[in-house]
Amino acid sequence: MCSGGLTRMEFDHLSKYQEDLWLCARCGDCSLADKTVASDRDVYMPCAVKNVLGFEAYSCRGRIMVMNDLIEGKIEPSEDLVDWAFTCTTCKSCQETCTATADGIRLPEMTEALRQDLVEQGFDMEKHHIIEDSIVSKGNPYKEARNERLDVFGDREFPEKADVVYFVGCTSAYREKEIARTTVELLDRAGVDFTILQDEKCCGSVLLRLGRIDAFDELTTANIEAIKETGASKVITSCAGCYRTWKVDAVENGYEYPFEILHITEFLDQLIQDEQISFESPEEITITYHDPCHLGRHAEVYEAPRRVIQAVDNVNLVEMETNKRYAHCCGSGGGVKGSFGDLANDVAGDRIEEAERTGAQTLVTACPFCHRGLVDGADYNKSDMVVTDLPTFLLPYLKGEKGKKAEEEDPLKKQFMEYLREHPMIFDGLKKDAVIDYEIEGDRFHVRLVDKGEIEVNPRRAENPDVELMFSEDAVEELFTKESEDEYAARFGEFFKDPTDEKWIKFNLRRNIVKLLMKGYRKFAQKAGLI
Amino acid sequence: MSIVKAAGDHPLYQQLVDIVGEKKVSDNQVIISSYSKDASHLQAERPGIVVMPGSVEEVQDIVRLCNNTKTPIIPAGGRNGICGSCLPRVEGAVMLDMVNMDEVVNLDEDVMTVTVGAGLRWAELIHRLHEKGYKLGFRGPYGGNVGTVGGSTSINSIGYAASKFGPSDEGVVSLEVVLPNGDVIHTGTGWNKDAKLFGRYSSYNDMTGIFLGDHGTLGVKTKVTLKIYPAAEHKLYGDFGFENLQKATDAFLEVQKRGLTEELNLLADRQSTDTFFPGFLDSHPEIHAMFASVVQESDEQLAKRKMEIVREIALNHGGKDLGNFASQMHWGEMFNLVQPLYNNGFWLNTCHLRPIPTIPKMMEQMWNIFEKYDLLDKGIKWIASCLGAERTYATGWVTLFPPNEEKMELGLEAWNEMLDVIMDTGGCPYWNGLLWEDRVLENTEKPFIETYWKVKNAIDPNGIMAPHVFRGTD
Repeated sequence: MCSGGLTRMEFDHLSKYQEDLWLCARCGDCSLADKTVASDRDVYMPCAVKNVLGFEAYSCRGRIMVMNDLIEGKIEPSEDLVDWAFTCTTCKSCQETCTATADGIRLPEMTEALRQDLVEQGFDMEKHHIIEDSIVSKGNPYKEARNERLDVFGDREFPEKADVVYFVGCTSAYREKEIARTTVELLDRAGVDFTILQDEKCCGSVLLRLGRIDAFDELTTANIEAIKETGASKVITSCAGCYRTWKVDAVENGYEYPFEILHITEFLDQLIQDEQISFESPEEITITYHDPCHLGRHAEVYEAPRRVIQAVDNVNLVEMETNKRYAHCCGSGGGVKGSFGDLANDVAGDRIEEAERTGAQTLVTACPFCHRGLVDGADYNKSDMVVTDLPTFLLPYLKGEKGKKAEEEDPLKKQFMEYLREHPMIFDGLKKDAVIDYEIEGDRFHVRLVDKGEIEVNPRRAENPDVELMFSEDAVEELFTKESEDEYAARFGEFFKDPTDEKWIKFNLRRNIVKLLMKGYRKFAQKAGLI
Repeated sequence: MSIVKAAGDHPLYQQLVDIVGEKKVSDNQVIISSYSKDASHLQAERPGIVVMPGSVEEVQDIVRLCNNTKTPIIPAGGRNGICGSCLPRVEGAVMLDMVNMDEVVNLDEDVMTVTVGAGLRWAELIHRLHEKGYKLGFRGPYGGNVGTVGGSTSINSIGYAASKFGPSDEGVVSLEVVLPNGDVIHTGTGWNKDAKLFGRYSSYNDMTGIFLGDHGTLGVKTKVTLKIYPAAEHKLYGDFGFENLQKATDAFLEVQKRGLTEELNLLADRQSTDTFFPGFLDSHPEIHAMFASVVQESDEQLAKRKMEIVREIALNHGGKDLGNFASQMHWGEMFNLVQPLYNNGFWLNTCHLRPIPTIPKMMEQMWNIFEKYDLLDKGIKWIASCLGAERTYATGWVTLFPPNEEKMELGLEAWNEMLDVIMDTGGCPYWNGLLWEDRVLENTEKPFIETYWKVKNAIDPNGIMAPHVFRGTD
């Protein structure tokens, strides 16, 4: 560590989060909660790092206490403090669990802000200097030669122009090469018109996570220009870290770009839905899926990977105890894998055990960092669990012929969806991007508010709904006979308040009540006669 | 594994490492910082060192070490209480972070008890019992995602299902306690090493009660045995509104007296309902107080009939049926209800117990305080709620929410007056801690507290367990 020789620091970046630092009332849900049964959420001991290291300082609650002490000068920056600051994977599990503010206390952002403050004032780790220097000078964090980035693809040539760019990412290009290779092969065999940037640079994710943001602008600008030159309308990536950086961080940092960003799982999902490709396993297998934090919590892509997996004939997907929004972290993110390898292995080992408890033979993920971490975790645990990344998992099962026609939707579901489309005023009062998931005895679809009075009804489960509504078939059959929205709402309220064995409606709130109120659910509930 | 290395400055550091291993002990200020507060605004001393024991034997060794060296020691559970009870009053204390002692030790279906490590959190215990087809009586405090069985029973916590089953202590059958000299005792039928843990009252006086609510002053609870019940699938909900608090209280008292509900929760004024659930009463301008009721039974007909009776009582007292959304949300969001209230600001609570008929009188004085300080106009919201408890008393939870640090001073001024009102109107805090201790001591009969100290001095002659607790905070 290089010490700037200061004992009392200014925390310019962290201080922007004063409100969160004040509002955290240390309930500890982020640290020790088990919400599995008591409130029907898949939350179990949310902080994967705290679960390994034990002390409260490693949980979100503890971190906020330490941050407050730092700002108040009760603790001075030190080597210990720097080590502590870089043990957080910034996986956002704590924030998803937290209900203290509408979006949860923003620990990942606060952690990155603190790291920025520390780095700017000379409190940092030598390893991180090396990573930054490598990114700046070689375009990747691994000190690998810039001109060897595409060696992973052998003699394969890529066109200058294409409709799709596959943004490979440093980890797939230099370390997890199988992911890069299988992704390219999948795209080739699916007949996708795609190319790869000849001079792709690191997306900058690792710099953001480590609080070293100086080079981010140059990298992002260069990559955007290079993509523009290909004429591509879509950029796909098989790296969850790259995906989040493009989809979330770049946008939040004010960058605009004329192309759509898709994770490979979303892209494959589209191809499957469009009946362009299909998959079949020759034998029945049971797998489980690990949600990468960058893809899931940070970018809210939960369902696409699952739909892709479930589209493979003879594959049975089982969920781990913690999954989707509440999935435990693999331990590789936030710079932890590079900074504290043993800690990352321990965390990954815990996730491997969780996967083993499902009875699955294979653990699939969709991120080269997670893949590396979980493979190491399985080795560390001496586990037989097979860990594979989604493109690698799928490739052997790709069928020669085009996709099969999707199964016809259940008529009741179709009728209900159509009815809701024709009665958008049922959702009057809800704000843009409010999302309600509907379930009719196991079959799901969702409604999203596109704008005032305008809804979108999708025949699939929502990625991250605000509310889940469950209906009996008889209730649905009666509801869509109602001619007006008011009649519908009145009956809806009755089914909810006075359910019978045949006609009932239940609900699960999936968001903090404050967030729900902000999204207009107060009026929705009043109209439906719930309140 | 340790990332942040211990400083090793605490006098007992090496001996504690010898007992529990290096990974479970730290006196580094970064680690200590995260043990410096609970979920209240109250502050005391920071621990000198934090230890995470994993077995009763380790606890015994630690306690013996502290006793031999006259080092203060304080046990802590989930540390999300709101009265400062787990914060040391003296410097250099050894804090036991008990959360690793969280195993379900024994589920005894013959006698319907479960024995758990004191560090087990209530929500996880519910989870584990659910897997076996059982439920708890008292489910846990409102912070039960994190609050531990040992912590709650040390400070008389109250919360979910107290309306039927009483506070946390009521469900306790037996305790395993490490005494300040390192010996272990098992209370209830545990006095007989060959017997099951099935009854609290047996052969001797009720030794269990001595340790319940002791705030960690008499020993370290390492195991708690609780009553369990068959899972009950049939739940019915009812929300009822009233035009004034008196009518609501009368109905609330009658329902509670008849023992009909698993949970019965009164919101004492419109502002409370609006803080808790904005918009809920918009369609009911005449309603100024309400209660939410939850019936839970293993028999559907029984559940239905009970809810019918609750409804009849409410309507007989002039109540209005408001549906059941609030009560469903209240029960379905178990242990998640209070956290969203932080959106209104940091809370200043007045948690206590009181006879139900005294609620209106207490609230009259509260409203006077709110008006005197012009709280709403100054951006400070409140919630006044009462939970039916055991048979015919209730909790009183009147809580202010200063929205930011600037408003804290005003909030504290009003809050201190509120605490006085609680005591003056016959309220009795259920827990003590930094929150209540001075006011409680002022009102405590001399022979009572002297008797406590005789017991304390006999059990803990070196005064190592949670020193200065019950002596006053000044």
